[in-house]
Amino acid sequence: MILLIYLAVISYSIGFYRSAFVYAGLLFQIGYMAHRGMTLGRLPIIGPHDTLFFMSLSTMLFAGAISFRQKDRRGILLPQVGLTLLFIGLSLLYKPHNAPLPPVLRTFWFESHVALSFFAYALFGIAAVLGLMFLIKKDQQAELLQYKAILVGYCFFSTAMVFGGIWAFYAWGTYWLWTPKELWTVILWLFYSLYLHARLRPWWLGRPSAYLSIAGFLIVMFTYLGVSLFMKSSHSF
Amino acid sequence: MKLLKIIMNFFVSLRTTLWLSSGLLLLLFLGSFIMPLREEFQALHTTPLFAWMADNGLGVTWWLYGSIIVLTLLVLNTLACSIESLIKKRSSRTWLLTISPQVIHIGFLFILLAHCLSSYDSFQGMTQASRGTALELPNGVVAVIEDIRADADPAGYIKDWSVAVRYYRQGKALPVETLQPNSPSFIDGFGLYIKTVRFEPFPVALIQLSRDSGAPWALLGGILFLAGMTTLLLLKIRREADQD
Repeated sequence: MILLIYLAVISYSIGFYRSAFVYAGLLFQIGYMAHRGMTLGRLPIIGPHDTLFFMSLSTMLFAGAISFRQKDRRGILLPQVGLTLLFIGLSLLYKPHNAPLPPVLRTFWFESHVALSFFAYALFGIAAVLGLMFLIKKDQQAELLQYKAILVGYCFFSTAMVFGGIWAFYAWGTYWLWTPKELWTVILWLFYSLYLHARLRPWWLGRPSAYLSIAGFLIVMFTYLGVSLFMKSSHSF
Repeated sequence: MKLLKIIMNFFVSLRTTLWLSSGLLLLLFLGSFIMPLREEFQALHTTPLFAWMADNGLGVTWWLYGSIIVLTLLVLNTLACSIESLIKKRSSRTWLLTISPQVIHIGFLFILLAHCLSSYDSFQGMTQASRGTALELPNGVVAVIEDIRADADPAGYIKDWSVAVRYYRQGKALPVETLQPNSPSFIDGFGLYIKTVRFEPFPVALIQLSRDSGAPWALLGGILFLAGMTTLLLLKIRREADQD
């Protein structure tokens, strides 16, 4: 089934020349996720391989939806393909986690907490790419789309945090644990709260806003990968 | 009077929000690097935050004190901005659009209140228990472990486990309750959780007793936050659709 990943990578690469292939790549990704889900009998969102792959798929799904009604659909979609390929490449560095889930992870609250977090991460990634596009091309539309992606991502992320708190309360007896992962989650949430408030002031529109979206995605990557790799925390992949 | 006006202007300012949020971000950022390096933080999992802070020196806790000060100012800032916004826009026709950011703010404040309560008055204890073990809860109720069970798959991997518990209040037996992972049992504000089980040489369960007085407020805050956020997002989407 790993073949489906390679077919997705090939399709996305050809997509830079013929954008219809981007959608073929998306279908291959969905195929791989569906197959893994059916094999495991659960949402494949445990471990770096599955979560990175889920993030790449989410990136492409949201990028497709965001670019759908835009005049320059190709111009907005293709840079996101680059981000998707990056996540797929990273996911291939890790072995898939095929062991059954421990009982404490077999709950709606956990699965929705993880899925919503990665939807949010994907939207924050898309926003960072749009911010970069704004800085390079001075395309006002990219800046506005970046704000919208962050607003929706923030909704997903806030919901993920509330669901995570409910899960933690049922699993561990408290909705909050003092671990670096939790602290970085709050840092991330606070950073995007800051972005949304800053954008209410005219000074922050345009370039500062674009820089914030790029910085935000660096925080996303550290919260997701950096904390698990570099800091001792009971809350990791 | 002039001083009062300066104070009011400080709190009713979006610039203040941005500065305070940035300050809080910096403190939490520094704290996240201190936390994994210091052994003292291990005790924070079982001790309420305020009691833990009182027991530990400023060398470890300075960023937490700083965060509490900044959060206090942020609460005043949030309240002042929300009240000002409601007064300014009270005659607005799009009252839902006016009120939803304030609902988000109220949700945020409830979540902070929840953390305050949890930091002051949470409780957590862990013990090993076998069949027949009686655990006395701080409120005098006794929990007796009646059974420890596990489901294993054909390969011998334990898929699930549960513990049957019967509570006794003043000697009177209550109906049996079953604890499972993600399915604790609650009595008088205390939660009894099963963490794990071991069957060799005899069945033993690791039981956790906890009380988190902030939890209901955190849930209420979370619901308000999400309700406000979703309403705001839907209104923005609808307004954009109307403009198209």
